[in-house]
Amino acid sequence: MGQILAYRGDVLVQLVPLPLGQTLHTKQPSFRQDPNNGRPYIEEIYSTDEAKCLHALICLKNAVIGSNRQKGFVVQHGVISRLIQIISCDSSPVSVRIEATIILGSIAKGTDEHVKALVDMNIIPLLVKGVLEDGDESSARLVEASLCCLRTLLQSGLAPTGTLAQDSDFVQHLLALLRASITSQMAIATILTAECKTPECQDLLSAHGAVYSLTALLCSPHRKVQMPALSCLAKIIFQNRGVALAAASASFGGRPLPDILTSLMAQDMPKGMQLSAARCLTYLHRAGALSASDDIIKGKTLSCLTRLCDKNHDNGIKAIAAETLGYLTEVDMILQKDASILNHLITNLAMYFKYAMEEVPPLQAQLRQAAFRAFASLGANDEDIRKKIIETEGLMDHIVCGLQDSSPGVRLAAIRCLHSLSRSVQQLRTTFQDHLVWKPLMNLLKHASDDDVVTVASSTLCNLLLEFSPSKEPILELGAIDLLCGLTRRKEAALRLNGIWALMNMAFQAEQKIKSQILKALGTEQIFRLLSDPEVNVLMKTLGLLRNLLSTKPHIDQIMNLHGIQIMQAVILILEGNHSAEVKEQALCILANIADGDSAKDFIMTNEDVLKKLASYMMHSSVKLQVAAIFCVSNLVWKEENGALERQARLKEMGVHKLLQQLINTSDTLLFDKVKTAMTQFSDS
Amino acid sequence: MSSNYLDNLASSRENWLNKLEGLNINRTDMNKLIMNYLVTEGFKEAAEKFKQESGVEPTVDLNSLDHRIRVRDAIQAGNIQAAVAMVNELHPELLDNDRFLYFHLQQLQLIELIRAGRVEEALGYAQEHLCEAAEEDKAVLSELERTLALLGFEQPEQCPFSDLLQPAHRQKVASELNAAILRMEDQEATSPKLADLLRLILWAQEELDKKKIKYPKMVDLADAKIDKVDMSK
Repeated sequence: MGQILAYRGDVLVQLVPLPLGQTLHTKQPSFRQDPNNGRPYIEEIYSTDEAKCLHALICLKNAVIGSNRQKGFVVQHGVISRLIQIISCDSSPVSVRIEATIILGSIAKGTDEHVKALVDMNIIPLLVKGVLEDGDESSARLVEASLCCLRTLLQSGLAPTGTLAQDSDFVQHLLALLRASITSQMAIATILTAECKTPECQDLLSAHGAVYSLTALLCSPHRKVQMPALSCLAKIIFQNRGVALAAASASFGGRPLPDILTSLMAQDMPKGMQLSAARCLTYLHRAGALSASDDIIKGKTLSCLTRLCDKNHDNGIKAIAAETLGYLTEVDMILQKDASILNHLITNLAMYFKYAMEEVPPLQAQLRQAAFRAFASLGANDEDIRKKIIETEGLMDHIVCGLQDSSPGVRLAAIRCLHSLSRSVQQLRTTFQDHLVWKPLMNLLKHASDDDVVTVASSTLCNLLLEFSPSKEPILELGAIDLLCGLTRRKEAALRLNGIWALMNMAFQAEQKIKSQILKALGTEQIFRLLSDPEVNVLMKTLGLLRNLLSTKPHIDQIMNLHGIQIMQAVILILEGNHSAEVKEQALCILANIADGDSAKDFIMTNEDVLKKLASYMMHSSVKLQVAAIFCVSNLVWKEENGALERQARLKEMGVHKLLQQLINTSDTLLFDKVKTAMTQFSDS
Repeated sequence: MSSNYLDNLASSRENWLNKLEGLNINRTDMNKLIMNYLVTEGFKEAAEKFKQESGVEPTVDLNSLDHRIRVRDAIQAGNIQAAVAMVNELHPELLDNDRFLYFHLQQLQLIELIRAGRVEEALGYAQEHLCEAAEEDKAVLSELERTLALLGFEQPEQCPFSDLLQPAHRQKVASELNAAILRMEDQEATSPKLADLLRLILWAQEELDKKKIKYPKMVDLADAKIDKVDMSK
C-alpha cells in the first residue's frame, strides 16, 4: 500500500500505514479515501528529541480528550507503555511528564475496558509517585494531573482500593496538598473516600487531622469542593465512635462542625448537599457523638430528611433520604415518634412502591429497600405508628413481593419491616389473611444463606405464631416444625433462641397432633441439649416449650405416657443444676402441669426424690419458688381427682401438710392464697 | 387586588406603561448588570472602558478574561481545532466531562468544512469523529443528521437547517464553551445576570398565560416592546 494523502482539518498529512489487526470502523461508504485515520504524531512520541516528543504528546492529548474511539486506539496500539515509560523516567522533563499524565487521565475517563487496561498496567504506583513530586511551580501541574488521574481510576470501582490509605506518609502528604488548589481539593477528597474502607483506615485519617481538614473544606465557597468533602466526612465517621467524637468537636473559623453541617441542610441549598449533610449528622448521632435529644438531630436533621422524602424530589434523592432516615431512627423511640408525624412521612413513603414501578432496576430496588427500611425503624416500638403503617394501602402485598425480590437488600429490608409490624399480631390478622405471608416467609427461611435474614425471619415467625390461628395448617405443610428444629441446632445463639421460641409459641394451646409433631421432630435428646445450653434464654424457652406441651389433661397424660421418663429427668436436671430462681420456677411449673394430669401424677408420686425436692422448695427463701412448689402440691392433692386420698396421705407422710400449716402465717398474699387452696384440699383428718 | 383593578390595568396599555414608568430602578444596579454581562461574556476592552466611564468595579480581575477571550475569538474565526487545543491546555478534563459540548464543537468543525465546500472531507470527518457520539446518544444523532442534511443541498443556505450556518450558531457554541469554562473556574454565574432577568420576564408571562390572565405582553425582548392586550384569546 502506497502512502496516502488526506486532509486532516486544514492540514494535508501523510498517513502512516497502521499495523495489522487494527479494527476498522464498521461503516465504510465508498466515497472515503482511506479507512485509517492519519496519526503521524504517534511515531513522534517515541522520539528522544524533547521538543518533538512534547509536540507529539500535545497532539495525542488533543485527539483523545473527548473521544472514546481515540482512547481505544491508543490502548490497542500499546501507546500506554510509552506513556508509562515517560512518567517513570525521572530524567524526562517535567513538561513531557505532565502531558503524558494528562493523557493517561483522559484515557481513564473512557470506557471500562480503557480503565481496566490502565489498572492492569499498574500505573497507580506511578501516579502516586507523581503526586509526591516535590519541586517548583511546574511540578505543581504534574501533581495535580496525577491526582486527577488517580481519582478517576479509584472512583471507577475497577481498581483495587484500600491500600494507599494504609500508608501513613502518603495520607499525610495528601492532606497537606489540600492547600494547593480547588482541583486538588476535589480530587483528594474523592480519593480518600474511595480508599477509606476499614475502621483502622478511619482512625489513621483522623490521626492525621483529616476531620479538621475536611471541616475547613466544608467552609469553601465552592460547591464542588463541599460535596466530595461531605462524602469523605461521612465515610470516615461511619460507625466509628472515636472519629465521630473528634468530628463533633472540630471547628473552623469559630464555627463547630455540627453547626456548619446544619447550615448546609438549609432549604435553599442544593438537595444533594442537604442530603449529604444530613447523612453526616445521622452518622455522628449513631456513632454516639450527638445525642438524639440535641435539636440538631431531632429538629433539623429529622425535618430535613423527612422533607426530602416528599414526592417533589428526584427518586434518587428520595431513596437515599428514606434509607438514611431508617438508619437515623433505628433505635430511638422518640425519634421514631417525631419522624412519623413530620411532613406526611408515612404517606410519602407508601408512594415509593409506585415510584419504583416507573424506574429502572437499580433505582427500583433502592426505592423499595429504602421504604421498607424506614417503615421497619418507624414501626419498631410504637403501636400507633405500626397501625398507621399497616393501614397503608397495599403494604402487605408489597411486603410479600419484597420477600421474594431478586435483590438481597430488598429481601432483608422487607423481612425487617415485617418483623417490626409482626409485633402487632392482632392488627395483622385484621388486615390480611394469614396464609399470604407464610409461604414467602418460609421460603425465605429455607433458602436464605444470609444469617441476618434467617435471624430476622425466624424472629418474625416467632411473633406471628404467637397469635393462635386456626389456619396453622399451611405453615405446618410448609415444613415449619422441621425448619425450626433445625434452627435449634445452629451454633448462632440468636438462631437457636428464635427456633425454640417459635416452637414454644406454636405449642401454645395447640392441638395434640401439633404437639406430637413437635416432640417427634425435636426429640428428647435435643431437648436435653437445649436444657444445657450456655444461653439462659434458650434454656428458659425450652422449659416454656415443655410447659406449653404439658397443658390440658388429655395431652399431659398422652405425652407423659410416651416421654414421661425423659421429661422427669429433664426437670430434675434443672432443679439440681446451678440455675437462677427464674429458671427453677419454670421447672417447678412444669411439675405443676404434670401434676394436673391423671395418670401423669404417678410420675411424681412414685418419685421420692422429687417429692422431697418439692417439700424443700416449699420452704425456699425465694417466694416464687415456694408458690410454684405449693401449686404443684395443690394439683397433686386435688380432692376431686381419683386417688386423691392416697396421695394426700403420702404427702402428709412426707410432712407436706405440716409445712403448709407453718406457711399459713405468711404475710405474702399470693403465697397465703396458694397455701390456703392447698390446705383446703386435704380432707380433715 | 380586586379583579376590577386588574381589569382596568389589563385593558389599558397606557395604564400598564405608566405603572412601569413609575417603578424606580437604580442606575448603579443597571451598571452592575452591564458590567456583569461584559465580564461574563469576555468583552475585556469594553469592560475596561465601561469601568472608566461608569466607575463600576468589575467582579473579577479583567486580566483573567484573556484566555476566555482567546477561546471565543478562535471560535468566531471558525478555528475550532485551535479553540479545542486552548481549552485542553487550560482545563484538560473539561471536554471529557462534557461530551455533549465536545460534540457541539466537532459539529461546528463539520459545519466549517461544509461552509468551505469541502464535501469529501466533511463526510470523512463526520465518519471519523462524530459517529461515536451519535451511537451513544439519540439527541446527538438527530443533530448530526440535521448537519449532514446540509450536504444534500447544492446551496446549503437553502436547506431547512441553514440556521446552523448562521453566525448565531457559532455564538451559541461559543457561549456554551464559555459557560463551561466559567463552571470549571467555579464562578457562581455562568450566564450573565441580564439573561436571568430576561428569563424571569418570560417565566412570569408564561405563568400569567397559564392562568389565562389578560395583560399587555412584552412580545420582543430585544427592544422591550409591549403589545396591546389581546382580548380575542
